[in-house]
Amino acid sequence: MADLFRFVVNILAAIAIPLVLLLFLGWGYVRKVKVYEVFVEGAKEGFTTAVRIIPYLVAMLVAIGIFRASGALDVLTGLLAPVTSLIGMPPETLAMALMRPLSGSGSLGIMTELMKVHGPDSLIGVMASTMYGSSETTFYVLAVYFGAVGVKNTRHAVPVGLIADAAGMLAAVWIVGVLFR
Amino acid sequence: MLNTIWISLIALGILIAVGSDVSDEVRNTYRNGIPLDAVVEVQKPPSALRRTWEGELVMAADAFALFYGVAAPPAPVRQPVSVTTAADGRSALLLQVGDGAPVAWKTMAQAAPAKGRLMAVVESVRFSADGRQAAVRLVFEPTRYVKLKAVTAAALDYAATAVTIAIGLIGIMALWLGVMKVAEAAGLLAVLMRALTPLTRRLFPDVPPDHPAVGAMIMNIAANMLGLSNAATPLGLKAMEELNKLNPKVGTATNAMVTFLAINTGGLVLIPATAIAVRAAAGSSDPGMIIGTTIIGAGCATVAGVTASRLLQRLPRYRKAMEVDRG
Repeated sequence: MADLFRFVVNILAAIAIPLVLLLFLGWGYVRKVKVYEVFVEGAKEGFTTAVRIIPYLVAMLVAIGIFRASGALDVLTGLLAPVTSLIGMPPETLAMALMRPLSGSGSLGIMTELMKVHGPDSLIGVMASTMYGSSETTFYVLAVYFGAVGVKNTRHAVPVGLIADAAGMLAAVWIVGVLFR
Repeated sequence: MLNTIWISLIALGILIAVGSDVSDEVRNTYRNGIPLDAVVEVQKPPSALRRTWEGELVMAADAFALFYGVAAPPAPVRQPVSVTTAADGRSALLLQVGDGAPVAWKTMAQAAPAKGRLMAVVESVRFSADGRQAAVRLVFEPTRYVKLKAVTAAALDYAATAVTIAIGLIGIMALWLGVMKVAEAAGLLAVLMRALTPLTRRLFPDVPPDHPAVGAMIMNIAANMLGLSNAATPLGLKAMEELNKLNPKVGTATNAMVTFLAINTGGLVLIPATAIAVRAAAGSSDPGMIIGTTIIGAGCATVAGVTASRLLQRLPRYRKAMEVDRG
Protein backbone atom coordinates (compact mmCIF):
# COMPACT_ATOMS: atom_id res chain seq x y z
CA MET A 1 0.00 0.00 0.00
CA ALA A 2 2.70 2.46 1.05
CA ASP A 3 4.88 1.30 -1.81
CA LEU A 4 2.08 1.77 -4.32
CA PHE A 5 1.49 5.26 -2.96
CA ARG A 6 5.14 6.15 -3.38
CA PHE A 7 5.20 4.66 -6.85
CA VAL A 8 2.21 6.71 -7.98
CA VAL A 9 3.40 9.96 -6.41
CA ASN A 10 6.88 9.54 -7.86
CA ILE A 11 5.46 9.04 -11.34
CA LEU A 12 3.22 12.09 -10.90
CA ALA A 13 6.15 14.19 -9.73
CA ALA A 14 8.30 13.10 -12.65
CA ILE A 15 5.67 13.71 -15.29
CA ALA A 16 3.97 16.80 -13.86
CA ILE A 17 6.15 19.56 -15.27
CA PRO A 18 6.65 18.15 -18.80
CA LEU A 19 2.93 17.41 -18.94
CA VAL A 20 1.91 20.87 -17.76
CA LEU A 21 4.26 22.51 -20.26
CA LEU A 22 2.89 20.41 -23.12
CA LEU A 23 -0.74 20.76 -22.08
CA PHE A 24 -0.72 24.49 -21.34
CA LEU A 25 1.34 25.59 -24.31
CA GLY A 26 -0.22 23.03 -26.70
CA TRP A 27 -3.76 23.95 -25.65
CA GLY A 28 -2.88 27.61 -26.15
CA TYR A 29 -1.70 26.89 -29.68
CA VAL A 30 -4.87 24.95 -30.47
CA ARG A 31 -6.93 27.86 -29.16
CA LYS A 32 -5.03 30.14 -31.59
CA VAL A 33 -3.05 31.94 -28.90
CA LYS A 34 0.23 33.36 -30.20
CA VAL A 35 2.03 31.13 -27.75
CA TYR A 36 5.57 32.37 -28.26
CA GLU A 37 4.66 36.03 -28.09
CA VAL A 38 2.40 35.63 -25.06
CA PHE A 39 4.99 33.48 -23.29
CA VAL A 40 7.71 36.11 -23.71
CA GLU A 41 5.31 38.82 -22.63
CA GLY A 42 4.63 36.99 -19.36
CA ALA A 43 8.23 35.85 -18.80
CA LYS A 44 9.51 39.40 -18.91
CA GLU A 45 8.08 39.99 -15.43
CA GLY A 46 10.38 37.32 -14.00
CA PHE A 47 13.30 39.64 -13.55
CA THR A 48 11.44 42.42 -11.74
CA THR A 49 9.71 39.98 -9.39
CA ALA A 50 12.96 38.26 -8.44
CA VAL A 51 14.81 41.52 -7.91
CA ARG A 52 11.96 42.99 -5.86
CA ILE A 53 12.43 40.21 -3.30
CA ILE A 54 16.06 41.10 -2.55
CA PRO A 55 15.63 43.72 0.24
CA TYR A 56 13.09 41.55 2.09
CA LEU A 57 15.29 38.48 1.81
CA VAL A 58 18.41 40.36 2.92
CA ALA A 59 16.62 41.68 6.02
CA MET A 60 15.29 38.24 6.94
CA LEU A 61 18.37 36.15 6.18
CA VAL A 62 20.82 38.49 7.93
CA ALA A 63 18.79 38.34 11.15
CA ILE A 64 18.55 34.55 10.90
CA GLY A 65 22.27 34.29 10.09
CA ILE A 66 23.24 36.32 13.16
CA PHE A 67 20.97 34.22 15.33
CA ARG A 68 22.40 30.95 14.01
CA ALA A 69 26.06 31.95 14.20
CA SER A 70 25.81 33.21 17.79
CA GLY A 71 24.90 29.86 19.31
CA ALA A 72 21.68 31.40 20.65
CA LEU A 73 19.83 28.23 19.66
CA ASP A 74 21.77 26.18 22.24
CA VAL A 75 20.92 28.71 24.94
CA LEU A 76 17.20 28.69 24.04
CA THR A 77 17.16 24.90 23.86
CA GLY A 78 18.67 24.71 27.34
CA LEU A 79 16.04 27.09 28.72
CA LEU A 80 13.05 25.40 27.10
CA ALA A 81 14.04 21.74 27.47
CA PRO A 82 12.49 21.27 30.96
CA VAL A 83 9.14 22.52 29.62
CA THR A 84 9.03 20.41 26.47
CA SER A 85 10.18 17.20 28.14
CA LEU A 86 6.90 17.39 30.09
CA ILE A 87 5.01 16.56 26.86
CA GLY A 88 7.31 13.69 25.97
CA MET A 89 9.42 15.62 23.51
CA PRO A 90 13.07 14.56 23.68
CA PRO A 91 15.26 17.64 24.30
CA GLU A 92 17.40 16.69 21.28
CA THR A 93 14.48 17.36 18.93
CA LEU A 94 13.72 20.74 20.50
CA ALA A 95 16.57 22.38 18.56
CA MET A 96 14.92 20.98 15.43
CA ALA A 97 11.55 22.50 16.32
CA LEU A 98 13.12 25.90 16.99
CA MET A 99 15.28 25.90 13.86
CA ARG A 100 12.67 24.59 11.41
CA PRO A 101 10.75 27.87 10.84
CA LEU A 102 13.99 29.87 10.59
CA SER A 103 16.31 27.99 8.29
CA GLY A 104 15.96 25.08 5.87
CA SER A 105 19.68 24.35 5.69
CA GLY A 106 20.02 24.74 9.47
CA SER A 107 17.25 22.27 10.24
CA LEU A 108 18.57 19.87 7.59
CA GLY A 109 21.92 19.98 9.39
CA ILE A 110 20.28 19.26 12.74
CA MET A 111 18.28 16.36 11.30
CA THR A 112 21.39 14.82 9.71
CA GLU A 113 23.35 15.22 12.94
CA LEU A 114 20.60 13.65 15.08
CA MET A 115 20.43 10.64 12.76
CA LYS A 116 24.18 10.23 12.84
CA VAL A 117 24.23 10.28 16.63
CA HIS A 118 21.01 8.39 17.46
CA GLY A 119 20.41 6.35 14.30
CA PRO A 120 17.70 6.97 11.69
CA ASP A 121 15.34 4.33 13.09
CA SER A 122 15.52 5.46 16.71
CA LEU A 123 12.67 7.44 18.29
CA ILE A 124 14.70 10.64 17.96
CA GLY A 125 15.69 9.87 14.35
CA VAL A 126 12.13 9.20 13.22
CA MET A 127 10.80 12.17 15.17
CA ALA A 128 13.39 14.55 13.74
CA SER A 129 12.73 13.46 10.16
CA THR A 130 8.97 13.70 10.66
CA MET A 131 9.38 17.18 12.12
CA TYR A 132 11.51 18.22 9.19
CA GLY A 133 8.74 17.25 6.77
CA SER A 134 5.91 18.63 8.91
CA SER A 135 6.56 22.29 8.26
CA GLU A 136 8.12 24.72 5.87
CA THR A 137 10.73 27.41 6.52
CA THR A 138 8.08 29.91 7.57
CA PHE A 139 10.20 33.05 7.77
CA TYR A 140 11.82 32.41 4.43
CA VAL A 141 8.45 31.83 2.74
CA LEU A 142 7.15 34.98 4.44
CA ALA A 143 10.04 37.11 3.18
CA VAL A 144 9.92 35.78 -0.37
CA TYR A 145 6.15 35.76 -0.86
CA PHE A 146 5.45 39.12 0.74
CA GLY A 147 8.61 40.57 -0.75
CA ALA A 148 7.37 39.78 -4.26
CA VAL A 149 4.36 42.07 -3.77
CA GLY A 150 6.02 44.63 -1.54
CA VAL A 151 3.96 43.85 1.56
CA LYS A 152 5.57 45.37 4.63
CA ASN A 153 2.67 45.17 7.08
CA THR A 154 2.19 41.40 7.34
CA ARG A 155 -0.76 41.67 9.79
CA HIS A 156 -1.52 38.26 11.32
CA ALA A 157 0.77 36.29 8.98
CA VAL A 158 3.55 35.76 11.55
CA PRO A 159 1.33 34.46 14.37
CA VAL A 160 -0.52 32.27 11.87
CA GLY A 161 2.76 30.86 10.54
CA LEU A 162 4.04 30.17 14.04
CA ILE A 163 0.78 28.51 15.10
CA ALA A 164 1.03 26.26 12.04
CA ASP A 165 4.65 25.42 12.89
CA ALA A 166 3.85 24.68 16.51
CA ALA A 167 0.92 22.47 15.46
CA GLY A 168 3.11 20.61 12.96
CA MET A 169 5.88 20.02 15.48
CA LEU A 170 3.51 18.92 18.26
CA ALA A 171 1.61 16.63 15.88
CA ALA A 172 4.90 15.07 14.77
CA VAL A 173 5.98 14.48 18.38
CA TRP A 174 2.57 13.05 19.22
CA ILE A 175 2.13 10.68 16.27
CA VAL A 176 5.68 9.34 16.42
CA GLY A 177 5.38 8.95 20.18
CA VAL A 178 2.12 7.00 19.80
CA LEU A 179 3.47 4.71 17.07
CA PHE A 180 6.74 4.04 18.85
CA ARG A 181 5.59 3.16 22.36
CA MET B 1 4.91 41.11 15.44
CA LEU B 2 7.40 40.63 12.60
CA ASN B 3 9.25 43.73 13.81
CA THR B 4 9.57 42.26 17.30
CA ILE B 5 10.74 38.86 16.09
CA TRP B 6 13.17 40.43 13.65
CA ILE B 7 14.89 42.62 16.23
CA SER B 8 14.79 39.76 18.77
CA LEU B 9 16.73 37.47 16.44
CA ILE B 10 19.38 40.13 15.89
CA ALA B 11 19.62 41.38 19.48
CA LEU B 12 19.51 37.91 21.04
CA GLY B 13 22.17 36.71 18.60
CA ILE B 14 24.55 39.57 19.30
CA LEU B 15 24.05 39.59 23.09
CA ILE B 16 24.54 35.84 23.34
CA ALA B 17 27.65 36.08 21.15
CA VAL B 18 29.09 38.75 23.47
CA GLY B 19 28.22 36.67 26.53
CA SER B 20 29.78 33.56 25.08
CA ASP B 21 32.99 35.41 24.13
CA VAL B 22 33.26 36.96 27.59
CA SER B 23 32.81 33.55 29.19
CA ASP B 24 35.49 32.07 26.88
CA GLU B 25 37.83 34.87 27.92
CA VAL B 26 37.21 34.35 31.63
CA ARG B 27 37.61 30.58 31.47
CA ASN B 28 40.39 30.83 28.87
CA THR B 29 38.66 28.13 26.84
CA TYR B 30 41.30 28.28 24.10
CA ARG B 31 44.27 28.31 26.52
CA ASN B 32 45.65 31.58 25.20
CA GLY B 33 49.27 32.10 26.26
CA ILE B 34 49.67 28.65 27.81
CA PRO B 35 52.49 26.56 26.30
CA LEU B 36 51.55 23.21 24.76
CA ASP B 37 53.99 20.31 24.56
CA ALA B 38 53.71 18.01 21.56
CA VAL B 39 55.79 15.76 19.37
CA VAL B 40 56.31 16.42 15.68
CA GLU B 41 57.18 13.48 13.46
CA VAL B 42 59.59 15.05 11.02
CA GLN B 43 58.97 14.37 7.34
CA LYS B 44 61.07 17.05 5.65
CA PRO B 45 63.93 17.83 8.03
CA PRO B 46 65.64 21.23 8.20
CA SER B 47 68.89 21.61 6.32
CA ALA B 48 71.57 24.21 5.77
CA LEU B 49 69.67 25.44 2.73
CA ARG B 50 66.11 25.38 4.10
CA ARG B 51 64.81 27.36 7.02
CA THR B 52 61.48 25.49 6.94
CA TRP B 53 60.89 21.95 8.05
CA GLU B 54 57.68 19.95 7.93
CA GLY B 55 56.08 17.07 9.72
CA GLU B 56 53.04 15.84 11.58
CA LEU B 57 52.16 17.05 15.03
CA VAL B 58 51.08 14.13 17.20
CA MET B 59 49.32 14.34 20.53
CA ALA B 60 47.68 11.59 22.60
CA ALA B 61 43.91 11.99 22.85
CA ASP B 62 43.89 12.18 26.64
CA ALA B 63 46.74 14.70 26.71
CA PHE B 64 44.73 16.91 24.36
CA ALA B 65 41.61 16.45 26.52
CA LEU B 66 43.55 17.36 29.65
CA PHE B 67 45.07 20.47 28.10
CA TYR B 68 41.82 21.94 26.76
CA GLY B 69 39.53 20.53 29.43
CA VAL B 70 37.27 18.82 26.88
CA ALA B 71 36.15 15.26 26.16
CA ALA B 72 38.92 13.18 24.60
CA PRO B 73 38.85 13.04 20.79
CA PRO B 74 38.23 9.49 19.43
CA ALA B 75 41.78 9.05 18.10
CA PRO B 76 45.21 10.57 18.75
CA VAL B 77 45.51 14.04 17.27
CA ARG B 78 47.57 14.18 14.06
CA GLN B 79 47.81 17.35 12.02
CA PRO B 80 50.35 18.51 9.43
CA VAL B 81 52.60 21.37 10.52
CA SER B 82 55.43 23.38 9.09
CA VAL B 83 57.99 25.26 11.17
CA THR B 84 59.90 28.24 9.85
CA THR B 85 62.94 29.63 11.59
CA ALA B 86 63.52 33.35 11.14
CA ALA B 87 66.92 35.04 10.84
CA ASP B 88 66.92 35.89 14.55
CA GLY B 89 66.60 32.21 15.44
CA ARG B 90 62.96 32.33 16.55
CA SER B 91 60.60 29.76 15.04
CA ALA B 92 56.96 29.98 14.05
CA LEU B 93 54.71 26.96 13.55
CA LEU B 94 51.84 26.73 11.10
CA LEU B 95 49.25 24.03 11.78
CA GLN B 96 46.88 22.94 9.02
CA VAL B 97 43.51 22.20 10.59
CA GLY B 98 42.03 19.36 8.57
CA ASP B 99 38.65 17.63 8.68
CA GLY B 100 39.88 15.16 11.29
CA ALA B 101 41.06 17.89 13.66
CA PRO B 102 39.58 18.15 17.16
CA VAL B 103 36.62 20.48 17.57
CA ALA B 104 38.57 22.95 19.71
CA TRP B 105 41.13 23.50 16.97
CA LYS B 106 38.49 23.75 14.27
CA THR B 107 36.74 26.47 16.24
CA MET B 108 40.04 28.27 16.78
CA ALA B 109 40.93 28.00 13.10
CA GLN B 110 37.58 29.51 12.11
CA ALA B 111 38.34 32.61 14.13
CA ALA B 112 42.00 32.73 13.02
CA PRO B 113 43.13 35.46 10.60
CA ALA B 114 44.27 32.79 8.12
CA LYS B 115 41.17 30.56 7.82
CA GLY B 116 41.85 26.88 8.41
CA ARG B 117 45.36 27.44 9.79
CA LEU B 118 46.64 28.05 13.29
CA MET B 119 49.81 30.04 13.94
CA ALA B 120 51.98 29.41 16.98
CA VAL B 121 55.23 30.71 18.42
CA VAL B 122 57.69 27.88 19.03
CA GLU B 123 59.34 28.27 22.42
CA SER B 124 61.69 25.32 22.15
CA VAL B 125 62.50 22.45 19.77
CA ARG B 126 64.49 19.36 20.68
CA PHE B 127 65.27 16.90 17.88
CA SER B 128 65.73 13.24 18.73
CA ALA B 129 69.10 11.64 18.00
CA ASP B 130 67.96 10.17 14.66
CA GLY B 131 66.30 13.44 13.68
CA ARG B 132 62.93 11.78 13.03
CA GLN B 133 61.10 13.32 15.95
CA ALA B 134 61.11 16.69 17.57
CA ALA B 135 59.71 17.62 20.97
CA VAL B 136 58.12 21.02 20.48
CA ARG B 137 56.82 23.51 23.02
CA LEU B 138 54.53 26.00 21.35
CA VAL B 139 52.13 28.79 22.20
CA PHE B 140 49.25 29.39 19.77
CA GLU B 141 48.37 32.90 18.71
CA PRO B 142 45.58 33.97 21.09
CA THR B 143 42.03 33.08 19.98
CA ARG B 144 39.45 35.70 20.91
CA TYR B 145 35.96 36.91 19.97
CA VAL B 146 35.08 33.60 18.27
CA LYS B 147 31.31 34.16 18.29
CA LEU B 148 31.44 37.85 17.44
CA LYS B 149 33.61 37.08 14.43
CA ALA B 150 31.20 34.32 13.44
CA VAL B 151 28.24 36.71 13.77
CA THR B 152 29.98 39.31 11.61
CA ALA B 153 30.82 36.74 8.95
CA ALA B 154 27.27 35.37 9.00
CA ALA B 155 25.69 38.80 8.58
CA LEU B 156 27.81 39.51 5.50
CA ASP B 157 27.48 35.99 4.07
CA TYR B 158 23.71 35.84 4.43
CA ALA B 159 23.26 39.24 2.82
CA ALA B 160 25.13 37.89 -0.20
CA THR B 161 23.16 34.62 -0.07
CA ALA B 162 19.89 36.56 -0.26
CA VAL B 163 20.95 38.07 -3.56
CA THR B 164 22.14 34.70 -4.88
CA ILE B 165 18.77 33.14 -4.09
CA ALA B 166 16.86 35.98 -5.72
CA ILE B 167 19.02 35.94 -8.85
CA GLY B 168 18.60 32.17 -9.05
CA LEU B 169 14.83 32.70 -9.13
CA ILE B 170 14.88 34.88 -12.25
CA GLY B 171 15.00 32.05 -14.78
CA ILE B 172 12.37 29.72 -13.34
CA MET B 173 10.24 32.71 -12.42
CA ALA B 174 10.28 33.84 -16.06
CA LEU B 175 9.50 30.32 -17.27
CA TRP B 176 6.41 29.88 -15.10
CA LEU B 177 5.13 33.41 -15.60
CA GLY B 178 5.32 32.79 -19.34
CA VAL B 179 3.51 29.46 -19.12
CA MET B 180 0.81 30.89 -16.88
CA LYS B 181 0.26 33.80 -19.25
CA VAL B 182 -0.35 31.38 -22.11
CA ALA B 183 -2.68 29.30 -19.94
CA GLU B 184 -4.67 32.42 -19.07
CA ALA B 185 -4.92 33.49 -22.67
CA ALA B 186 -6.14 30.02 -23.65
CA GLY B 187 -8.66 29.93 -20.82
CA LEU B 188 -7.30 26.61 -19.65
CA LEU B 189 -7.18 27.36 -15.94
CA ALA B 190 -10.86 28.30 -15.96
CA VAL B 191 -11.78 24.60 -16.22
CA LEU B 192 -9.63 23.70 -13.23
CA MET B 193 -10.90 26.66 -11.23
CA ARG B 194 -14.52 25.83 -11.92
CA ALA B 195 -14.01 22.27 -10.68
CA LEU B 196 -12.50 23.44 -7.42
CA THR B 197 -14.84 26.38 -6.81
CA PRO B 198 -16.62 24.84 -3.77
CA LEU B 199 -13.27 24.52 -2.00
CA THR B 200 -11.67 27.78 -3.06
CA ARG B 201 -14.75 29.87 -2.30
CA ARG B 202 -14.70 28.58 1.25
CA LEU B 203 -10.95 29.08 1.71
CA PHE B 204 -10.72 32.46 -0.01
CA PRO B 205 -14.12 34.16 0.28
CA ASP B 206 -12.68 37.53 -0.77
CA VAL B 207 -11.36 36.20 -4.07
CA PRO B 208 -13.74 35.71 -7.01
CA PRO B 209 -13.59 31.97 -7.85
CA ASP B 210 -12.73 32.68 -11.49
CA HIS B 211 -9.91 35.13 -10.72
CA PRO B 212 -6.45 34.21 -12.13
CA ALA B 213 -5.13 34.23 -8.53
CA VAL B 214 -7.16 31.08 -7.83
CA GLY B 215 -5.60 29.24 -10.76
CA ALA B 216 -2.08 30.16 -9.67
CA MET B 217 -2.82 29.14 -6.08
CA ILE B 218 -4.15 25.74 -7.17
CA MET B 219 -1.08 25.18 -9.33
CA ASN B 220 1.21 26.23 -6.47
CA ILE B 221 -0.43 23.92 -3.96
CA ALA B 222 -0.34 21.00 -6.41
CA ALA B 223 3.35 21.60 -7.14
CA ASN B 224 4.09 21.81 -3.42
CA MET B 225 2.33 18.54 -2.70
CA LEU B 226 4.36 16.82 -5.39
CA GLY B 227 7.53 18.28 -3.90
CA LEU B 228 8.33 20.34 -7.01
CA SER B 229 9.64 23.38 -5.19
CA ASN B 230 11.24 24.80 -8.35
CA ALA B 231 7.79 25.21 -9.82
CA ALA B 232 5.96 25.91 -6.57
CA THR B 233 7.78 29.11 -5.64
CA PRO B 234 7.30 30.91 -9.00
CA LEU B 235 3.64 29.84 -9.08
CA GLY B 236 3.20 31.00 -5.50
CA LEU B 237 4.71 34.39 -6.32
CA LYS B 238 2.45 34.64 -9.36
CA ALA B 239 -0.51 33.93 -7.06
CA MET B 240 0.64 36.63 -4.66
CA GLU B 241 0.85 39.14 -7.51
CA GLU B 242 -2.66 38.26 -8.63
CA LEU B 243 -3.93 38.51 -5.05
CA ASN B 244 -2.27 41.89 -4.78
CA LYS B 245 -4.41 43.13 -7.70
CA LEU B 246 -7.41 42.62 -5.38
CA ASN B 247 -5.65 44.38 -2.51
CA PRO B 248 -7.38 47.63 -1.52
CA LYS B 249 -4.35 48.68 0.51
CA VAL B 250 -1.13 47.82 -1.31
CA GLY B 251 1.74 47.18 1.11
CA THR B 252 -0.53 45.45 3.64
CA ALA B 253 -1.29 41.72 3.62
CA THR B 254 -4.90 40.78 2.77
CA ASN B 255 -6.82 37.96 4.47
CA ALA B 256 -6.52 35.80 1.36
CA MET B 257 -2.75 36.32 1.25
CA VAL B 258 -2.35 35.20 4.85
CA THR B 259 -4.55 32.13 4.34
CA PHE B 260 -2.57 31.24 1.22
CA LEU B 261 0.69 31.67 3.13
CA ALA B 262 -0.66 29.47 5.94
CA ILE B 263 -1.21 26.66 3.41
CA ASN B 264 2.31 27.19 2.09
CA THR B 265 4.07 27.28 5.46
CA GLY B 266 2.19 24.14 6.50
CA GLY B 267 4.31 22.50 3.82
CA LEU B 268 2.08 19.54 2.95
CA VAL B 269 4.13 17.20 0.77
CA LEU B 270 2.99 13.74 -0.30
CA ILE B 271 6.55 12.39 -0.25
CA PRO B 272 9.08 14.18 1.99
CA ALA B 273 11.96 13.47 -0.39
CA THR B 274 14.72 15.31 1.50
CA ALA B 275 14.04 13.60 4.82
CA ILE B 276 13.81 10.20 3.09
CA ALA B 277 17.12 10.78 1.31
CA VAL B 278 18.86 11.74 4.57
CA ARG B 279 17.39 8.68 6.31
CA ALA B 280 18.58 6.40 3.52
CA ALA B 281 22.05 7.94 3.64
CA ALA B 282 22.16 7.38 7.40
CA GLY B 283 21.50 3.66 6.83
CA SER B 284 17.82 3.40 7.79
CA SER B 285 16.19 -0.01 7.33
CA ASP B 286 13.00 1.69 6.09
CA PRO B 287 13.65 5.27 4.94
CA GLY B 288 10.09 5.76 3.69
CA MET B 289 8.39 4.93 7.00
CA ILE B 290 8.02 8.62 7.81
CA ILE B 291 5.68 9.29 4.86
CA GLY B 292 2.56 8.62 6.91
CA THR B 293 3.69 10.48 10.02
CA THR B 294 4.83 13.45 7.95
CA ILE B 295 1.51 13.72 6.14
CA ILE B 296 -0.24 13.77 9.52
CA GLY B 297 2.21 16.34 10.92
CA ALA B 298 2.02 18.65 7.91
CA GLY B 299 -1.74 18.12 7.66
CA CYS B 300 -2.17 19.30 11.26
CA ALA B 301 0.10 22.27 10.56
CA THR B 302 -1.95 23.25 7.49
CA VAL B 303 -5.33 22.88 9.21
CA ALA B 304 -4.09 24.80 12.26
CA GLY B 305 -2.64 27.54 10.04
CA VAL B 306 -5.77 27.99 7.95
CA THR B 307 -8.01 27.95 11.04
CA ALA B 308 -5.77 30.45 12.82
CA SER B 309 -5.76 32.75 9.80
CA ARG B 310 -9.57 32.77 9.69
CA LEU B 311 -9.85 33.44 13.41
CA LEU B 312 -7.08 36.02 13.79
CA GLN B 313 -8.23 38.09 10.82
CA ARG B 314 -11.27 39.10 12.91
CA LEU B 315 -9.23 40.62 15.72
CA PRO B 316 -9.76 44.39 15.86
CA ARG B 317 -6.06 45.23 15.52
CA TYR B 318 -5.74 43.25 12.30
CA ARG B 319 -9.04 44.58 10.94
CA LYS B 320 -7.95 48.11 11.58
CA ALA B 321 -4.71 47.53 9.67
CA MET B 322 -6.80 46.72 6.60
CA GLU B 323 -8.99 49.84 6.72
CA VAL B 324 -8.43 52.15 3.77
CA ASP B 325 -7.98 55.83 4.51
CA ARG B 326 -10.64 57.81 2.69
CA GLY B 327 -9.16 61.22 3.34
